[in-house]
Amino acid sequence: MTGFLKKHGWTLGLLAILLTLLIAIRVVQPNFGASGLESLARAALPFAFATAAMAVVVIAGGIDLSVASMMAVTGVTAAVLMDNATEGQAVFAVIAVLLVGIAMGAINGALIVLTKVPDIVVTLAMLFVWEGVALLILSTPGGGAADWLRSIIAGPVSLPFLPEAWTFWLPNAFIFMAVAIAVIWLPLRRSKLGLSIYAIGSDDTAAFRSGIAIGRTRVAAYAVAGLFCALGGLSLTMGTGIGEPVPGPYLMASVAAVVLGGVVLGGGRGGLLGPIIAVFILRAIRLLLTLMAVDPNVTTIVEGTIMVVVVMLGAILMMRERRS
Amino acid sequence: MKRLTQTVAAGAVIASLSAAAFAAGHASYTIGVSNTVQGNGWREQMICAMNAQALASGDVAEMIIAHRNTDTAGQLEDIRNLIEADVDAIVLNPSNPDGLNDAIEDAIAAGIVVVAVDAGVTAEGAYILSNNQEEYAYLGARWLFEQLGGEGDVVYMRGIAGVSADTDRDNGFQRALAEFPNITVVHEVFTGWQQDQGKQQMLDFLATGIPFDGVWTSGIDNVIVDAFLESDVPLVPIVGADNAGFVQMLTEVEGLEGAAVTNPGSVGGAGVTLALQILEGNAPDDPLVLVDPALWDNTTDDGRAQITSAQNPNLDPEWPVSVSIDGWTTYSMDQIIACEGPGE
Amino acid sequence: MTDSGAEPLLLDAQSVSKRFGAVAALSNASLHLRRGEVVALMGANGAGKSTFVKILTGALRPDTGHVQIKGVDRRVGSPAEARRSGLVPVYQEPSLIPDLTVADNLRLGDTDEAAFRHWVAELGVSDLNLGEMIHRLPLATLRILDLARALASKPDVLLLDEMTAALPTDLVEKVLKTVRAQADEGLAVIFVSHRFPEIAALCDRASVLRDGETVGDLPIEDGVEDRAVELMLGAALTPGQLAEDRDAHVPQTATGTPRLKVSGIGLGGKLTDVSFDLHPGEVLGVVALEGQGQDELFDILAGFRRAETGTLEVDGTTREFTHPADAIAAGLTFVPGNRAEALLMDRSVRENIALPFSARLRAWAGLPMKREAARVAEAIERLQIDTRAQGEVRRLSGGNQQKVTIGRWIATGVETLLLFDPTRGIDVRTKRQIYPLVRELAAQGAAVLFYTSELEEVQLACDRAVVMFGGRVVDIIDAAEADEPTLMRAAYGLPRNAPAEAAS
Repeated sequence: MTGFLKKHGWTLGLLAILLTLLIAIRVVQPNFGASGLESLARAALPFAFATAAMAVVVIAGGIDLSVASMMAVTGVTAAVLMDNATEGQAVFAVIAVLLVGIAMGAINGALIVLTKVPDIVVTLAMLFVWEGVALLILSTPGGGAADWLRSIIAGPVSLPFLPEAWTFWLPNAFIFMAVAIAVIWLPLRRSKLGLSIYAIGSDDTAAFRSGIAIGRTRVAAYAVAGLFCALGGLSLTMGTGIGEPVPGPYLMASVAAVVLGGVVLGGGRGGLLGPIIAVFILRAIRLLLTLMAVDPNVTTIVEGTIMVVVVMLGAILMMRERRS
Repeated sequence: MKRLTQTVAAGAVIASLSAAAFAAGHASYTIGVSNTVQGNGWREQMICAMNAQALASGDVAEMIIAHRNTDTAGQLEDIRNLIEADVDAIVLNPSNPDGLNDAIEDAIAAGIVVVAVDAGVTAEGAYILSNNQEEYAYLGARWLFEQLGGEGDVVYMRGIAGVSADTDRDNGFQRALAEFPNITVVHEVFTGWQQDQGKQQMLDFLATGIPFDGVWTSGIDNVIVDAFLESDVPLVPIVGADNAGFVQMLTEVEGLEGAAVTNPGSVGGAGVTLALQILEGNAPDDPLVLVDPALWDNTTDDGRAQITSAQNPNLDPEWPVSVSIDGWTTYSMDQIIACEGPGE
Repeated sequence: MTDSGAEPLLLDAQSVSKRFGAVAALSNASLHLRRGEVVALMGANGAGKSTFVKILTGALRPDTGHVQIKGVDRRVGSPAEARRSGLVPVYQEPSLIPDLTVADNLRLGDTDEAAFRHWVAELGVSDLNLGEMIHRLPLATLRILDLARALASKPDVLLLDEMTAALPTDLVEKVLKTVRAQADEGLAVIFVSHRFPEIAALCDRASVLRDGETVGDLPIEDGVEDRAVELMLGAALTPGQLAEDRDAHVPQTATGTPRLKVSGIGLGGKLTDVSFDLHPGEVLGVVALEGQGQDELFDILAGFRRAETGTLEVDGTTREFTHPADAIAAGLTFVPGNRAEALLMDRSVRENIALPFSARLRAWAGLPMKREAARVAEAIERLQIDTRAQGEVRRLSGGNQQKVTIGRWIATGVETLLLFDPTRGIDVRTKRQIYPLVRELAAQGAAVLFYTSELEEVQLACDRAVVMFGGRVVDIIDAAEADEPTLMRAAYGLPRNAPAEAAS
């Protein structure tokens, strides 16, 4: 039990913070309920995928500054492919978008591995390249999205074998996110590739000596990040019904959520659960501040301060643990 | 999309609004605001006009303002958060005409009045109050091309690629360009509506030595004049917006010929007025209300007179000079500069 | 070779050479192993051991010569490929992923878990939880796990690279016993080590490298230590000029209160009960094979790390260093072996020499600038540096750079100087200009601690030498007696009084 607490302490702490925030929201706005949870889940969706993408490369000991731009590319690709397409054709559009994401991520990774230029430089350059690609695909916001796709993340869950009173609280957007991330991450995490991703982030000399193909693993990590970015771009198009070529504020937010979520910058440590909870924390803070009608120029300061305080607190706790 | 231009009778609106306000005599409404560009003079004026008009109206108890840099998905989040906050009306500057419809429809379904200012939305049941952006670009471009005698090379400095206001303005610019076949665009850039970026782009282009006869800017204007002065290059006619800094230059900079096209951020205040009207049961027949721009040039006496009367040294130099819209806003100059809403 | 045993060679490395730029790391190295053989690979610092190990494991490609494993040419490739070929290395630093559990590490390397558990138990580690994170386990356990993992992969040839260093004695015994038993079953083992007792207990033969060349293949028998020491030294002793230099240098015998008194310093498994005195005007050599605790000792004296036990006294007062600033305040100045860490590479010689002046700005505030400038000019004169290259220190040769790092202290004055291998990679001529600099500092009253990886330097520059082995001070030898064979034997932990010259 103590072992479990030690191992998942950070995640449990984040959950506690999230619960506290939800309670605070409920106190400020007594009407807060199912629809509020749905707003929160829908708002968190693109951030969650961006954060998952960032978390995977950070665990692999890298960083990807082009996540928001890749989301823009996949978002507009989805919107363009689905514009005037039938509902059936949209299935192929989704598959194509996911492949585009994987390909972009793999290109990022391959460039880092082949040129040996630091990841931060390569992905900074690719941030602009992908941004340009997005504008080439769609110069102004537009396109469309299939209705069935958009309805996936709308409303609460309805399951035939569960009473509505239960499922009423569970937004579809949340289920979509949880399923998409779990389907990709859980098998990967336990696979040899997943272990290799942790290994190269943890200690690349030891990983090399353990017989891991460092370069290929790195490319794979970036490709997985690209896949998550594609889901993020797709979720943007699902939410808005259009494609937007100008990248949204997902880069900084994803780095913030990854750090807050307990993934160590530098690699090797952490998972996806913590960062995803961190995404919800950041969204809940925003909601709370809106409900309290806090001066908009103060909200960003509050968001930043809360993050620094939580991360610092975590660092202090970790140091305590190491000393004892 | 073809827009109807509607000129609204000023007196009638003010009268009915004031009457309603005094009759009801309460300050009970909560108005939510959503805006996705922060740190830009125009948008800051818009927010201040909303605050000032809410205060001046006497009908608003609280303003909840979501004002940050974000994308359409972020604005969706803000609108949904405002719904959760149980606001009576949402006045928003939409980042996209189509992408926000889900949340706007949710808001309308929840009985919330939705007014989009500055740009349109396609959601059923939402009201739109906007400066006519196509007309804005057409007016300035036509003046510039006429100033050049219908012939010459111009630099075309746009806003942000893919943003609807930029697209609308491009339509107006292209319409004017079509009327002047001997005008050529030698250089087209996107300033991102960023002062420093626009200035650097002009400095870079001046450094190339490629000759040109005029500049049309999408509101990044006074820094363009600075770029000319710093590079010690003879000035050419420049079209900008009614930003305080640029308007001042039109009166003070030796040898500068130029024109300012009004694009008041105070449509924000007008949006609040419209929202309150609708809440009081006085909805307009047409959900689209367009405010037409005016052009003030410093080459005619008429234009110079308008420029002089509009200047106020207390205004933020990056704000538009036109701080009010006749018939739509009732706050004083001091109130908008103070930028305080009710309850502050 | 005349051996025509029925057994084919498991590993056969012939005439391997490798150059790095102008430096020949290996010129003619050979090694061969049969089933069941355990061979020690020996060599002094810089003899080319680590390059040879890298070539054997396939991390580097030899320039000439060949390496065959089971009759197949060794290809340069990934460690995974090396493993498939049958040669599995175990290093001093375990190659386990710190942030994964033991079980995940096993899965990563496709290690058979049952076999791994068997070997872990065999090697004397009970109560191992496979769900434990690697970074939570002590280093000694990790070495055992690494070895167990290697054994579980059923290698033909096992390469143990200093893996017993800083391992507790009981575990060392278990390791040696297990490896020996496996060798008796047919495993071939290459044992890279500095430790004669372990070599004697485990190995059949010792292959000795000197200056990149295999100079001998000795059966393990009585007296092999002396023979090995002799082979490792070879004809490196050059009389003539060297002897002259040595004669010119008269070791001082210092008395009185020591400038620095080190008593009973200990740090984890790296340092144990290290004690010695360093007097003003004395140059005290530190002699040790690589990784015997000298790095940690200098780190502690420079305030980079804190000792776990023991005390430091400076001029008779006990001091505690919690930060490099404390060491500097106590007058201890550290000159790292890596010159890039000590110099402002883009600045001039003059500025670099004057740097300690500016660093002590407050203390020197009252001094007239002219006097400082004069002293810097004088120091440059003394250093015999080609002033044409004065613009940037970067453009100086390595030797001249090192002269600047030491010479600056002549200009500034220094109480205690900690020199860490200052002559590594420097040509002979420049080296011989550095010794007098060090002596001059001592003559000015400075106390100098001088770690060197070149044994002959002890008699050229030092008054006494502290010899470390396995984290302990095993001997303190006066310069007069500190000839290379004596130092070499001591550095290998062999008793001093045994006849070093017995074999010759």
